[in-house]
Amino acid sequence: MLVSESIKKQMEETGWIRRMFEEGINMKKIHGDMNVFDFSLGNPFIEPPEQLIRTIIDTLNDPVPGMHRYMPNNGYEEVREEIAVYLKDFYNMPFTSDHVYMTAGSAGGINILLKSMLNPGDEVIVPTPYFMEYRYYIESHGGVIRLASTDEDFQLDIEKINSTITPKTKAILINSPNNPTGVVYEEERLRELASLLSEYRKRGQKIYIISDDAYRKLVFDNIKLPNIFKIYDLVISATSHSKDLALPGERIGYIAISPKIKEAGSLVTALMFSSRALGFVNAPALFQRVIGKFQRNSVDIMDYQQKRDFIYNTLIEAGFECVKPRGAFYAFPKSPMKDELKFVKIMQEEERILVVPGRGFGKPGYFRIAYCVPFDKIARAADGFKNIGKRYIKKG
Amino acid sequence: MISKKISESMKGSSWIRAMFEEGERLKKVYGDENIFDFTLGNPITEPPKALKKELARLIGSEKKGMHRYMTNSGYEEVREEIAAFHRERTGLPFTKDHIIMTVGSAGGINITLKALIDPGDEVIVLNPFFVEFKFYIENHGGTMRLVETKEDFHLDIEAIKNAINEKTKAIIINSPNNPTGVIYDEDELKSLASLLRKHTSDKHRIFVISDEAYRKIIYDGASLPDIFKIYEDTVAIMSHSKDLALPGERIGYITISPMIKDAQPLIDAAIFANRILGFINAPATMQRLVKDFQKNSVDIEDYQKKRDAIYNMLTDLGYEAVKPLGAFYIFPKSPIEDDIEFIKHLQRYHILAVPGAGFGRRGYFRLAYCVEMDVIERSASYFKEAIRDIRQ
Repeated sequence: MLVSESIKKQMEETGWIRRMFEEGINMKKIHGDMNVFDFSLGNPFIEPPEQLIRTIIDTLNDPVPGMHRYMPNNGYEEVREEIAVYLKDFYNMPFTSDHVYMTAGSAGGINILLKSMLNPGDEVIVPTPYFMEYRYYIESHGGVIRLASTDEDFQLDIEKINSTITPKTKAILINSPNNPTGVVYEEERLRELASLLSEYRKRGQKIYIISDDAYRKLVFDNIKLPNIFKIYDLVISATSHSKDLALPGERIGYIAISPKIKEAGSLVTALMFSSRALGFVNAPALFQRVIGKFQRNSVDIMDYQQKRDFIYNTLIEAGFECVKPRGAFYAFPKSPMKDELKFVKIMQEEERILVVPGRGFGKPGYFRIAYCVPFDKIARAADGFKNIGKRYIKKG
Repeated sequence: MISKKISESMKGSSWIRAMFEEGERLKKVYGDENIFDFTLGNPITEPPKALKKELARLIGSEKKGMHRYMTNSGYEEVREEIAAFHRERTGLPFTKDHIIMTVGSAGGINITLKALIDPGDEVIVLNPFFVEFKFYIENHGGTMRLVETKEDFHLDIEAIKNAINEKTKAIIINSPNNPTGVIYDEDELKSLASLLRKHTSDKHRIFVISDEAYRKIIYDGASLPDIFKIYEDTVAIMSHSKDLALPGERIGYITISPMIKDAQPLIDAAIFANRILGFINAPATMQRLVKDFQKNSVDIEDYQKKRDAIYNMLTDLGYEAVKPLGAFYIFPKSPIEDDIEFIKHLQRYHILAVPGAGFGRRGYFRLAYCVEMDVIERSASYFKEAIRDIRQ
């Protein structure tokens, strides 16, 4: 009777991830870090842009009095203003500082947003495969997660989404570029989604799109990310500077509310309440202060693209089936064995390659590779993938 | 589009907003310096100089990976250092596993509650109280059981006893206290401990959640009794918002008592809660920053002088107040029964304060004296007129 029954249950469900993780640590102890190919974590080894670090140093050398105090729960006015200017350019929409809410990363942002919006029993649709934490985020605030599988290319399946909508549906939570697949949602599908949701709107049901844009800037092959704010009006985006500015440990990001949402003002008031009630209070002060000036910057995207190319080509050469990732830093190949957990263990034992089984993303039969690691590690793992391919993939 | 529950909670506190807006209006009309704002626990104090220097050094360091994710509980070396501080302080066998770095104490209390409570569980809170406690408890499906403290704001053990039932999962204590500035003494905490022991078993444990955000801000050479030595099932929550003046940076930690029997599931659950509530980890740079400042704090003497000034001023003018022994709040009795009316009355004298209603105790009001000394001194004549006029 020590801990909550509900949290105990949630933890048991993910017990296997923990065991895998521990197995990985063990392996590194035995073989040395160098000889274990760990593609299991979305923790980029890249450093933040130098200019950003210099800006912080300048700020600290010329401190503003009170720069570590509380500020309004939605963040510094001037930072929100800088971000609004960027959003206005990027989305060509009339964003103002009132549409921007500073958060502790996108995880913090999605949590205060769901807390602000959901009534007990409200449903949130999530396309699968999906980032599993969404389930906890939704359930923490009394919501119910409803999964809608995507098509073979991991693109939105509008029919599936339609059949998942009920009178209780409050929002659909999308993530593009996508974790775990690396897919960027096609504009046409997003338009179909928008017209589907508009149908429901005509019948009196407002369904919001919550867009997790954590990987927004990590897009390859000169693809343009569809402008979700132009495509649909009831859009709230949660973003983070964990990936584009390589600041995951600092917990900094923001929510952008579509200027087309009439109730934006009361949503901000609700978000303020939720960030206090959940204990975030405000996004960390120091990093808030600097990121306003770095909205147009990002880490080296070409570097990620080269890694994407290498890993994708290696997988195809080795005989794996894999949808080509267009963004983020993940690939999500098909497992040659139906039981991908078994296959993942084989890769671990035979080639010291660590990946996450697809069931960790609600999609058994696949596995996720996070290639945000030094290039050299990917290159040295290539033989391992190829050996596995030779041993376990039947040539058709 | 807003959750019904949130809309209701917001409506319930609409008078706070109205008050706040009146305050802002007054500031615009008369200028900031002519308004005596005692409403916010947002200290004007700057962090210690040595800490600022260390921050610049950390940011400028060439070391790689300073801003990456780390394990959800926080950097090992930071937790080890903090554990050593608590080992030394208490003589109890704290290890790094008993420490989880959090997004301030608000984040820390939330993950503790998420780890402990199931829907319908009750958490006892002592009135007057920091009203966010109610929201923290309700976030995780719990119910707050409010228990009155005595006339002097100390623990009423009998009242606590009457509130305990089979659903009771925890009691939150906050000493030094917001809003009263009271410190619970060793005897009353021992009585609380034996009461809790009487009502607990292996099947039903009751935790003390000790919010120690103000633990270093204590006056008159008083010492804070060590709750870890008094009661086993204790989780203490610490923040560096006040002692190191870093409220905007959101850094603190929870300390799980090494005396808790079979604590591992609780530790695991709290770390898991830190992740799934969206905190993920406490801000990286701030974790490293506070590592070597566990024994430091802002100038406590300075707060004590302000405490003396405001307490003497108020009591000389005929206000009734319990003398605060810690934190930076004082909670005087309202000269009229209706504290909200009295706050409106004070506004006419350019004084901004929070009515007791905001802390669950009508008939009182809170002054946060973490302001410039000059503000306290200049406000005296206004407090004087305010009480004189209301008594006429």
